[in-house]
Order: sequence, then structure tokens, then C-alpha cells
Amino acid sequence: MTDHAAALIAAGLCFGPGVIGSGAGLGILIGHAIDSMVRQPAMQNTVRTTMFIGIGIVEALALYAIVFGLIMLYVVKAPG
Amino acid sequence: MKNWWKKLDRRTKLLLGLGVFMVVVVGSVFIPGGKKETFDAANEFMLTPIIKLPKIGPVNLSITKAVLYLWATVFIIIGIAIYVAHSLKREPSRFQTVLEGVYELAHDGICHSVMRVGAEAWFPYVGGAFVYVLILNFLGLVPLPVGEHGQLAFYAASGNLYITLTLALCTFLLSHYAGIKAKGGLGYIKSWVVKEAPPVMRQFIFITHVLGELFRVVSLSVRLFANMLAGHLLLAVLFAMALLFQSYLVAGVLSVGSVAILLFEVFIAAIQAFIFAILSAAYIGGAIDEEG
Repeated sequence: MTDHAAALIAAGLCFGPGVIGSGAGLGILIGHAIDSMVRQPAMQNTVRTTMFIGIGIVEALALYAIVFGLIMLYVVKAPG
Repeated sequence: MKNWWKKLDRRTKLLLGLGVFMVVVVGSVFIPGGKKETFDAANEFMLTPIIKLPKIGPVNLSITKAVLYLWATVFIIIGIAIYVAHSLKREPSRFQTVLEGVYELAHDGICHSVMRVGAEAWFPYVGGAFVYVLILNFLGLVPLPVGEHGQLAFYAASGNLYITLTLALCTFLLSHYAGIKAKGGLGYIKSWVVKEAPPVMRQFIFITHVLGELFRVVSLSVRLFANMLAGHLLLAVLFAMALLFQSYLVAGVLSVGSVAILLFEVFIAAIQAFIFAILSAAYIGGAIDEEG
């Protein structure tokens, strides 16, 4: 296996499974936010703001994976 | 000319604007210079100096398109500020209403909701960071003639790690400055030690806290950078696929898809600016706060 092939496989492994955790986290976060909005409609605005911040933070983890995958793709160049 | 425009209701106007935007975006694919045999999405983010300036040590002072974007952002903010300051009215115009909304969001939604102490004192920095990152992100979603051959292209200055790292370092340094100013040098370091913890654990918690402080810079900068980079790479890959297939049908379908993604990117750009500002406020507020 050449270096480039290894880098491609590593990038693939980075992209795919890297997003799993973030996806599960987003599901939990939004689900619980909806839950608490239904329970306490008075707190809706606060919950929504906090939820969006949480979404941004959780989502960023998936993007870290993508950026590291891209680094693997572009740092190890194809031969020739 | 103006009458038919006034007759339309807001919904039609919005749809019309969206249609014109779509035509511009789809049409910009067919502007000459777009035919390519190979495409590397990473080249879209390559910075080639437009005006070459000498290096000072390791620092390259050349003017690149990222620098132009930063300047453009500054001028847009200054322009808006001057325009609004000169046309303030008791009954606000639409433009003024939007800006009042932004101000209120930065003032109440970000500063006062996160910082318990010193919200008023640190509002200029946090609000400034919010507006700056917001306009910088939005500017990346406007097709401007910054491509290789001067064709229209999307380029996000905040999709560049140097710029986001600089912004994150500003927050990092200012949060420590705020903490030292509020508690004194030794008192600030002492506030990192958790007194309730058993003595054996105190050092460990202290070291973890220091590491956490350092990683704030990384997470704050990489979050913004990765979000903007990922969105723009997605757009670049969609446009590139349209070019590589060299078929008008594929190009049309992919361009419509990329418009949908572009609209989602507007949302992401606003959210990321909001998160950057609110985390800045949280870090600064945490440094000032007694219990912090």
C-alpha cells in the first residue's frame, strides 16, 4: 500500500465515523431541547438560544473531523 | 417603473429576488474561463499575493484577497455606522430597525445574558467581534470577482485559519487582561485553584484548567474556520462537478442544489458569528467573575 492510498483510507475513516458522534449528539441535544420547550413554554426563548449555541458547538466537532480528513488528503500528495 | 414594483406584495418580492439571485448564481457557472479538465477544491483557498510587499522576519506582508476581504469588512462597518448615525430617527426606517435588532441581540442577547459582571464595560469588544465576524462571514457568501482570472467566486476570509486564530487570540489575551485587572495577577491565578477539592486533586485540576484555557484558543478558532471552510468546499465541489461533467443538465441541477446549500450557509454564518461572540463574552465574564 502506497502512502497516498493509506492517506485516502485514513481520510475516508476520518470523514465517515467522525460524523457519527456529532450526529448522535445533535439528536440528543435537539430532542431534549424540544422536550423542555414542551414542558415549559415560558422558557422557550432561553432554551432556543442555548440550543442553537449547543448546535454550533456540537456541529463543529464533525467539522474538525472533516478538516483533519482534508489535511490527510492534501498533505500526503499523490505520487508524480 | 416604480409603480409595478410597489404593487407586488412582500412574498412575491422575496421570490423574485431569490429567482434573480438563482439566475445570477447559475449564470455565473457559464461565464467563460470556467471550463476545466481538472479541479482541486483546495486551490480555491490558496492565497496568492496581489501586491507583493517585503517580508519582515517570518511575517509576509503581501496583500492577498483575504486582506482585501478584511479591509472591505472594515469599510462596510464604518460606512453603515456613519450612515446610520447621520440618519437616526425617532420612527426608525427599515434599515435602522434591522440594525437596532442587531444591537439589541449583541447587547441583551449576548453580553448581558452571559456576563454577570462587567457586561457594559466589555460590550464594545464583544459587540464589535460579533458584527465583524458576521459581516466577514456574510461577505464570503457574495460572489465577488476574486477568482483566478477575475471571474466571480466565493471566498470566505473566515475560512482561513490565520484570521480566525488572530480573532481567537484577541479574545484569549483580553480575557486574561480582564481577569488580571479585576483580581490582580496573583489573585487571578489563585482563582483557578478549586478550594473545595481535596489537596491531592488541586494541582491536577489546576493543570487541567490551564490546558483548558489554552485549548479555548484552538476550539474558538478552528470552529469558525472549519464551519466556513466546510461550507465553501461543499459549494466549490458542487460547482466543480458541474464544470467537470460539462453538461448543462447536470450543471443546472447542481447549481440549484448549491443555491439551497448557500441559503443554509447564510444561517451557519450568522450562527457562527453569534457563537463566537457569546463564547468570547463567556470567557471574559468567567475571568472577571469571582467564582470563575
